[in-house]
Amino acid sequence: MKNIFIVILLSVVFMSCEKTVLLDLNQNIPRLVIEGQVTNQPGYQYVKITRTTGFYEEGESPAVEDATVRVTDDLGNEFVFTHNPGNLADSAGIYLPETPFTGVIGRAYKLTVTTDGEVYEAEDAMSQVTSIDSLASRISTDEQDDPKDFGRFYEVLMYAKEPQNSTDYYLFKFYRNDSLKVYNDTHIYYADDEVLGENIDGVPSPIYYAPGDLARVEMYSLTRNGFVFYNDLQSLLNSDGGLFSQPPSNSRTNLSNGAVGFFQASALEIKEIVIKE
Amino acid sequence: MTRKLLFTVFVLISLHALGQEKVTLNGYVKDASNGEELIGVTVFIPQLKAGAVTNAYGFYSITLPKGTYEVQYSYVGYTFQTVTVELEKDLANNIELASEATFIKEVVVTDKRIDENVVSLQMSKNTLDLTQVRKLPALFGEVDIIKNIQMLPGVLTAGEGTSSFYVRGGSADQNLILIDEAPIYDPSHLFGLFSVFNADVIKDSELYKGGIPARFGGRLSSILEVRTKDGNNKKVSVAGGIGSMASRVMVEGPLKKDKSSFIISARRSYVDLFLRAADQDNLVHFYDINAKVNWKYNNNNRFFAAFYSGRDVFNFADDFGFAWGNKTATFRWNHLFNERLFSNTSVIASNFDYKLEVKDPVQGFKWTSNLQELSIKYDLSYFINTNNELSFGYHITGRRFSPGKIAPNTEGSIFSEVEMQHMYALDHAFYISNQQKLSERLMLDYGVRLSIFQNIGTSDLYLYEDPRDNINVQRTDTVHYGPWENIKTYVNVEPRVGIRYIVGEGQSVKVSYNRMVQNTHLIAAGTVPVPFNTWNPSGYYLKPQLADQVAVGYFRNFKSNMYELSAEAYYKDIKNVTDFADNADIFFNQDLSTEFRQGKSWAYGLELMMTKKEGKLTGSIGYTLSKAMRKVDGVNLDRAFAANYDRRNVVNIQAAYDMNEKWTFGANFTYSTGRPTTLPTGKFEYQNYNPDVITERNGYRLPAFHRLDLSATLTPRKNANRRWHGQWVFSVYNAYNRQNPFTIYTRTKKNDDGDVIGDGRTKEARMVYLFPILPSVTYNFKF
Repeated sequence: MKNIFIVILLSVVFMSCEKTVLLDLNQNIPRLVIEGQVTNQPGYQYVKITRTTGFYEEGESPAVEDATVRVTDDLGNEFVFTHNPGNLADSAGIYLPETPFTGVIGRAYKLTVTTDGEVYEAEDAMSQVTSIDSLASRISTDEQDDPKDFGRFYEVLMYAKEPQNSTDYYLFKFYRNDSLKVYNDTHIYYADDEVLGENIDGVPSPIYYAPGDLARVEMYSLTRNGFVFYNDLQSLLNSDGGLFSQPPSNSRTNLSNGAVGFFQASALEIKEIVIKE
Repeated sequence: MTRKLLFTVFVLISLHALGQEKVTLNGYVKDASNGEELIGVTVFIPQLKAGAVTNAYGFYSITLPKGTYEVQYSYVGYTFQTVTVELEKDLANNIELASEATFIKEVVVTDKRIDENVVSLQMSKNTLDLTQVRKLPALFGEVDIIKNIQMLPGVLTAGEGTSSFYVRGGSADQNLILIDEAPIYDPSHLFGLFSVFNADVIKDSELYKGGIPARFGGRLSSILEVRTKDGNNKKVSVAGGIGSMASRVMVEGPLKKDKSSFIISARRSYVDLFLRAADQDNLVHFYDINAKVNWKYNNNNRFFAAFYSGRDVFNFADDFGFAWGNKTATFRWNHLFNERLFSNTSVIASNFDYKLEVKDPVQGFKWTSNLQELSIKYDLSYFINTNNELSFGYHITGRRFSPGKIAPNTEGSIFSEVEMQHMYALDHAFYISNQQKLSERLMLDYGVRLSIFQNIGTSDLYLYEDPRDNINVQRTDTVHYGPWENIKTYVNVEPRVGIRYIVGEGQSVKVSYNRMVQNTHLIAAGTVPVPFNTWNPSGYYLKPQLADQVAVGYFRNFKSNMYELSAEAYYKDIKNVTDFADNADIFFNQDLSTEFRQGKSWAYGLELMMTKKEGKLTGSIGYTLSKAMRKVDGVNLDRAFAANYDRRNVVNIQAAYDMNEKWTFGANFTYSTGRPTTLPTGKFEYQNYNPDVITERNGYRLPAFHRLDLSATLTPRKNANRRWHGQWVFSVYNAYNRQNPFTIYTRTKKNDDGDVIGDGRTKEARMVYLFPILPSVTYNFKF
């Protein structure tokens, strides 16, 4: 909700015009990018390793395919990840567990990535997540007036109880027919519970659906570190260049040795609904 | 040691003064047409080569041996007046000067023009000449003193369309902005498009950039003192204007002729019309109301009460709204104990607040925040003799900071009520300073301000394991403080020194040193503060900011003071400058203490200014060469970086040409090196996002900023019998339609409709610019 200020400040520039300019930027020194995730749901464990590229470079980031990747938990269990076991064309840089496993709430996980003689490490703990009691859908009249996608103006409503005796952080992902959607390419859906009451009754989704669409909501628990990472990422993606907002800066991360990205351990709650007319 | 010495000197002066038998000439100097007291009028006695200047209340006092003297009263824009007085005993001599504007054709040329630029001890001060300002072009035709202050040498702006300014390498919150002595915490309307000052009611405005007198304190870099008119005590008059952005009306007049008067003025915008997306439901406007009454009980006691209220209101349909505003009230009592001892007592209240509301059955909430302060100031001026003027006083200010409260505004809202705790501070200041004329050539001002700051209860103080860990904040203890209980005290001694030496006819050299202390810190991490930024007092973790500034200047007037030249160089060193950790969470953070990072800042520069004050063509040319750096642990990997307000070269030219009785033309030109900005060197992929990689704070510069504005003022020939005076002001802002950079941001490559194009991985940089060429018309009237 604190991001409401960003919304206001962008709306301020109501008399502004803008144009694309070409910047003469310093050379990018490639850094390792790690996107790692362990959850308590089967099939949601992966680590993706790439490198940063120059600002103006086009196409996919170069994948790192020869790293050694393993995850250990605080009981001493070790899970080895291998690069693209299915040898899929679109999975370069993605490492999956050799033996499938699921994480356990309350446990701490440690990621170790070794590549080019450098070791990168990160730790995160799996916090509890509340359950989504139910989903419902209804027409959003605003969206109906001016839909972003033709015919898609149903929003999904979420009902849940926010535990008031614990400090919780959440990340949400919204899928339409198994495809991850964001309303805008810089939006991240995450929250802390500082000002939330217990009853979450009918919070609408930011994604709109048509009748017949399958809507899936994924709610991930985050640790404080995870919340900080996504909060920083949101500021970076939506920076106005440092005029009203703080100058852009890199997200704080749990990764060591100068790697960017994040290693996230999350409890995951999934709910689906088919949109009806 | 230094302090002891200073007090000894004061005592010696006073003893010295007692030993002589002299008489005192004093009084108030006023404008003959409306009874407004005039500030800074030079009172000069050629026989003795002695003189004085009227103070902020229009009062002067000179102590002389008995005798008959010619006394000259002179003031820019007013006819020169000479009075012969027989001084046998103390004499009160109130003078009324006639404005030159009332004798348009018969401009009185006197051989003795004002040379205040050279002879006055004060350096690094700029007084805005409002008559001149009105002849110059203004954005949307709305005369704005802050926009003019931004054109002064040593003063910078973040670009156009902002009301914040930066003085000599200081950040925007280091300026103390006063209206009738009351502080304004946010001087912006419409996020800075306009300032809160309605030019119609402004009598005088002065900016102190250095050599700041001991009676001022609390901010590091500058004092902007704006005083409003007292109201015409001779006749009722109405003035106003209809502009393309806002309209104004002002009524002033006597309550009892020559004894008491009032002034009330209001301004309201109709920006609603300018919002492109505006429909019936959207409401965006601002207003200002200024009111003042003054009452002269007798020559020794005068009372003033001034009030200001201004507010911006934004409402977007039924969804969303926000508002902010300042309210101030000042009550003042000028009292003359005797001919030589003048006192002013002020009680001042100021309130700044903002609110933000989302109207939604599920996600609705209301967010409010405010800052309130109440101060009492007791200032005394003791005119010891012709060579010494002693000023001393005591100020006390109490502040209550309410950083934020969030409350649900509907039954079904998902939010619960949370309020951040209030913070309280008590600020005391004692000051004493003496302005001493040692010889015809040498004049000194030396003084000291003692600032005692207390952060007090009621408050819970959180103690942290590591006060710099803002990720996993670990409170080790919470200490409760009851009402008025002292949490932390900071005592600072602020020496202030000024020297003026006349090196030759119409030439002087001035040197000044000042230390300033700031105990209220703006919680803003961007370049331009916004009204939603809150303030924090110094406290257990947050230390006072300290600035030391040395300035040296050369001042010269040419051609009977027709041209004024000033050249000033300064060096400013700031300790504990308040900054924020990268990615600081500054809104609604109960553990804000962990986000502060304090470091050092240093700035230096050279300011040149040439002004032509007389003749058909008037104006000024200013040039500033400067540098401002910061080094703060925890910011930019602990490396030094260019401050947001660092600009190497700035040129400002302002000119007005009075062609004839009907037409006056004006022009502004400004050029400035680009603002430092933070740009990426690379990017990466994370989930579906393509964030930038940042390597250095403020490592780049925006393109240079330059702009030309033009104006023409038409005053139709008036019928001598009519009271109605009208005037048309035509102006063109950004005459050659330059696309001046406001900011640069990055995004995924998109088409003109804002849809991502390509594979969503290619990025682009976008430059935002504000105003294209903008013509406007304003009609002003007076009757």
